[in-house]
Order: sequence, then structure tokens, then C-alpha cells
Amino acid sequence: MYTTQLLDVVTTAGVLYIVAVGLLVVYGVLKIINLAHGAFLAMGAYAGVLTTWAGWNPWTALLLAVVMGVAVAALVEWRVLRALYARPLDTILATWGLNIVVVQILTLYFGREIHFAESAIAQPISVAGVTYSQYRLVLLLIAVVLGGLVWLMMQRTHIGVVAQAVIMNEELAQALGINTRFVRFVTFCLGAGLASLAGALLTPLVSVHPNLGVPWLINAFMLVLVAGVSLGNLALAALVLGGAQVLVSSYGNPVLGSLTIVILAVIILRFRTVTI
Amino acid sequence: MRKSSRTLVALVLMLGLATLSGGAAAQSAAKQPIVIAVPVGLSGVNSVVAPAVVQSAELAVEELNAKGGIMGRPVKLIPLDDESGPAGAVKAFNTAIRQHKADVIITMETSAARNAGAPIADRAKALFIYTSFYEGRACGKYLYVNAWVPEQIVSPLVKFMTNEKKVKKWFVLGSDYAFGRGLIEPAKKMITQLGGTILGEEYQPLQQSDWTAIISKIRAANPDGIMYATSGGGPNIDFMKQFKAAGLKMPVGSLSIDELTAEQGGNAAEGVYYTADYFTSIDSAENKTFLEAMKRKFGANLKTPNSLSEPEYDGIHAYAMAVEKAKSTDADKVAAVLPTIVFKGPRGAVQMNKQHHAPLPVYLAQVQADGKTKIIQSFGLVDPGNQCPKLK
Repeated sequence: MYTTQLLDVVTTAGVLYIVAVGLLVVYGVLKIINLAHGAFLAMGAYAGVLTTWAGWNPWTALLLAVVMGVAVAALVEWRVLRALYARPLDTILATWGLNIVVVQILTLYFGREIHFAESAIAQPISVAGVTYSQYRLVLLLIAVVLGGLVWLMMQRTHIGVVAQAVIMNEELAQALGINTRFVRFVTFCLGAGLASLAGALLTPLVSVHPNLGVPWLINAFMLVLVAGVSLGNLALAALVLGGAQVLVSSYGNPVLGSLTIVILAVIILRFRTVTI
Repeated sequence: MRKSSRTLVALVLMLGLATLSGGAAAQSAAKQPIVIAVPVGLSGVNSVVAPAVVQSAELAVEELNAKGGIMGRPVKLIPLDDESGPAGAVKAFNTAIRQHKADVIITMETSAARNAGAPIADRAKALFIYTSFYEGRACGKYLYVNAWVPEQIVSPLVKFMTNEKKVKKWFVLGSDYAFGRGLIEPAKKMITQLGGTILGEEYQPLQQSDWTAIISKIRAANPDGIMYATSGGGPNIDFMKQFKAAGLKMPVGSLSIDELTAEQGGNAAEGVYYTADYFTSIDSAENKTFLEAMKRKFGANLKTPNSLSEPEYDGIHAYAMAVEKAKSTDADKVAAVLPTIVFKGPRGAVQMNKQHHAPLPVYLAQVQADGKTKIIQSFGLVDPGNQCPKLK
């Protein structure tokens, strides 16, 4: 019983981390909340649907999702967002507009009804004496790998170090000759690509519909608010808040569980004295 | 143009328009269409089955218009989106009644949507024929139901699983709303009546698609069998997918799945038992004609007719017969004759004569590996019981 709960907690944290990391990256560098994050999640999920229709290996959905996400993000950043950076609130509004447009295009093309995508892994696996969903464990692994890759990118690559400079103080970075425009471009594309990837990874767990991203966006938003810009903090937040949701759902009921992340996030933000 | 010429042109135009509209009004009084509104879940949890409902409605209306309409008036179909929920239903019902001046509302909806829309129809004195299976006990002067209620399908399913599948310890679960709870309630009663025990009972918010917590509880309780009632459509597949991925294998009885959803879910729902009043494999002349007509009309776009969508077809035809008999679209007059109408459709002869509900033929079926459904047993015509004792 406790093994299952522990597995539930860590795998839920893993899923939340994967969904939120794209939002965090954009928040850290561009200082805006990408409200189109949910739309990119949906887009990635539909990549999974397309892969099923084409009869390809379900893993190719991940690649297709990233390509689609990055392509759309690149176009939008270049043509729309770049002109609005001087007005951050308008930039956020633009991402909300992007959200509406993407969701409606998905609705026009796929219809409003629910679609199902093929799972790469559908069988259970036996671990520590319990039969558990293999896919959820794989997602946990992917979360760790993804987190590690993003961290490596930030610490060890040129663009990553430069991005950190932009996170710390954009004006100073610009004064030092860093091409902040390029950094913002790459970051937005990365954030969208991560969101689409997350969407494609979600499809074996949920049914696909144009508004799939909405509940996830809310939870990811809460996590990012609590975590700030640190990847490590995000992992911690995912564990604590996600874990709380699982425990409340298990010992209480799922209706209360769905409120847990939001309520906890509000409490943490209210009482936190250190700003990140 | 000179001022006097402009005035002349304006006068001529006005006269011309007046004549045209006057003529049109005279014409339309005789041929004014009968408007049937269908507010249905085109988006939201019912969106998997809504297209099938609209297709059933379209075929019924096409058949009526091919015979010259109802009382010689053409029939107009207005599908609307109720977003599978109360907020959307309020919008859709108001649009149907105020903007489209609907004569009747004939549709399948979630219970949440129906509970929000029915009072609007009632206040506007519009007849509302509800064609969805549901938890029962929804009553109104102008509300009629031609689909199943728990009294008709719950006990055959529970009896089968208890006797044939030897299920003594149960875990029951569902979506947290009128239908989910309303179906599990009689299931629990039947289970305890037959001597079974309920190890656990859990509900999940309607739009929540992550069943992890409940699945872990099922694993911990280790029941002999499961009975679940989510909403119609997508959530059935969400739950079954996650149930199977977690390695759980006990027999599952569903009170909310239908043939189309099972098919759309691939092999996710394989093995699930369910009871219903309509299956495409029903062997009757009416069903064959119905399926052929649907295939002809919709071809490759046909959504498998199922127990959530077929009653829409029956409902529209029953309404047409009632209007012809009452010789009026007035809700009071039509409601007076509706219980006497017997429509022989793909499900057989259906008559809404039991407190606004209908006795229906019930079958037990199981979902196969390819998502298709196979009928296992037939229970004949089952009475809906006392749904609305205050109505006659």
C-alpha cells in the first residue's frame, strides 16, 4: 500500500515536472508567463494522435511534437512577441492570444471531440513487489533525464551561461554585448518545445482534446510561481505539491485532491519571506 | 442625384421590399418550418458521442422531410453546443428557444447539462424529449425520456457479475456528478441485496482525467470485481487505459460506456461488461434498414450508432407522430398524446407511457479486443419502474 503511494507521489511529481519545466524556462529568461503553454501541450498531444493515424511508432510522436512546437514558437516569437518585449504585460496578452488561436486551429482541424493516441508502453511492470504502470515509471525517468539535460545546458553550454546572465540582469547583459534578442528567441522556442514534448508524453494517460492543456497550465503555473527560476526548486515544488495532491486524494478524496496544489501554492507564497 | 429623384427611388425600394416580405410572410405562414433544437455536447466529455447523436437526428429529419415533413411543414434541425455541462446548456437552451424559436428540444446531454437546461424549457413551455440514458427520477410536465434508467440495466449487470463472474467483493467508482453517483447508488443496493460487500466507493471530479489515486485504492482493496459509472464518452477510456496499465485484471462492469466509445478506445475497454437497450448487432428488420440508411447517408463519416445516439432517432420520429396525431405543435397538446405513441424503430416498439419513461429491451454485452461489442444475453422488455409517481 505504501509502496504504491510512494510510487504515485514520485511519478506524479515527475509528470508535473515535465509539464512545468518549459514554463519555468520561459519565465526565467523572458520574465513572462507563457499563457500559450497549455496550447503547446495540446499541440504535442495531437502530434501523438497524428502519429497513431499515420501508423508510426508512438515514440516518433515525441519528435513530431517538438518539431511542431518549435516551428510555431519560432514564427510567433519572431513576428509577434519580439515587437512587444518593451511592454511585458502586452507580451503576456499576446501569448494568451496565441493560446486561443492554436486551440481554435486544433479544434477546426481535429474537431472538438476526444481522440485517443496509441501508447508506446501499455503493460504494467512488477516493481518492489507491486504491479505498477510501467509508463508512469518511464515518465519519472524522463523527468529526471530532461531536468538533467536542461540543467547541463544552462551550466555547461555557452548559450546556457549567457541565458543565466540574461536571467540575472538583462540590461547589464545587453550592455556587455550579449545578444539578448537571440537568447529570448532560443528560450521561447525551447519552452514551447518542452511543452509540446510534455503534451506528447501525456497522451497515454489522458484522452486528447483541444482544451487538454487547461488543467495542466493551472498546476504548472502554481509550481512555477512557487519555484521561481530555479530548476532544483521546481523539482522540489513538484515533489511537495504533487505529493500532497496524491496523498490528499488517497486519504481524503480526489475532489479535495484537485484543489491541493492551488491552495498549497497560495499558502506558500503568502508566508514565504525570501524572494527568489 | 437630385433630391426628389432620391426620394422617389427610396419610395420604390421600400414598396418593393414591403411586397416581397408581405408575400414571403403569407407563404411562410403555411410552410413555416417545425424547428427541432438539439443542444448536445459537441465539446467537453460527451464530445465522443455527440456527432453520432447529430447524425441520428439528421437521418430522422431527412426521412421526415422526404415524406413532406410534419403536417406538411418542413422540419428544421438546429444542433447547438451545450459544452457537456450546465453553463453551456443554459446558453444553448436560451439560444434554441429565444433565437431559433424551437418547437421542441430533443437531445442527449449529460445530467449536469440537462438539470440546467430543463427548467429553461419548462418555463418556456417547450417540450423536451431527453434521449440519453441517465440516473432516473428527472420529472417535468414537458419532459419525456425514451432511454434507459438504472432500474432497467443495473440489476441485470450486477446479477450477471455476481452469479456468472462470482464477484463477492466489489469496488465501485464513478464521476462526481448526478449521473455517476445516481448510477452507483442503485448498483450498491443491488450488490448488497445479492449478498456482496462493497470494499470501496470513490468519485472523481468530472473533468479530471488522472485516475491514479483511485486505482491505487483499488489495488490496495483487492476486490473480485469493479463497477464504474463515469460520464458517457472519453472518461470511460481514460479510466480503463490507466486501469489496465496498472496491471489490474479483475472483471469490470460499466454503467456508462457505449458501443462507439468502446470502439474509439481501441483495446482499452476490452473485457468490459455492460447492459444497454441498443446495439448495432440487434437482429431486426428495422435495425437493418436504419443501419443501411445511416451508411448510405454518411458513408465513411458514419459514427457507430449506439445506445446514446440511437434514441435520438426514435425520439424525433415519436415526436413527429405525436404532432400529426395532436394536429398541433402546442406543447400541451403534443404532451397529451405522446404517451400513446408507439414508434417501431431499431430498438423495437418504444412507448413513453410509464410516467414519461419507456419500457425497453435490455441486452448484456462485452467489449472485444478490437473494441467492437458482442451481445451475450437478452433480457426482453424491462420496466423503468416508478420514475415520476407524481406524473401519471
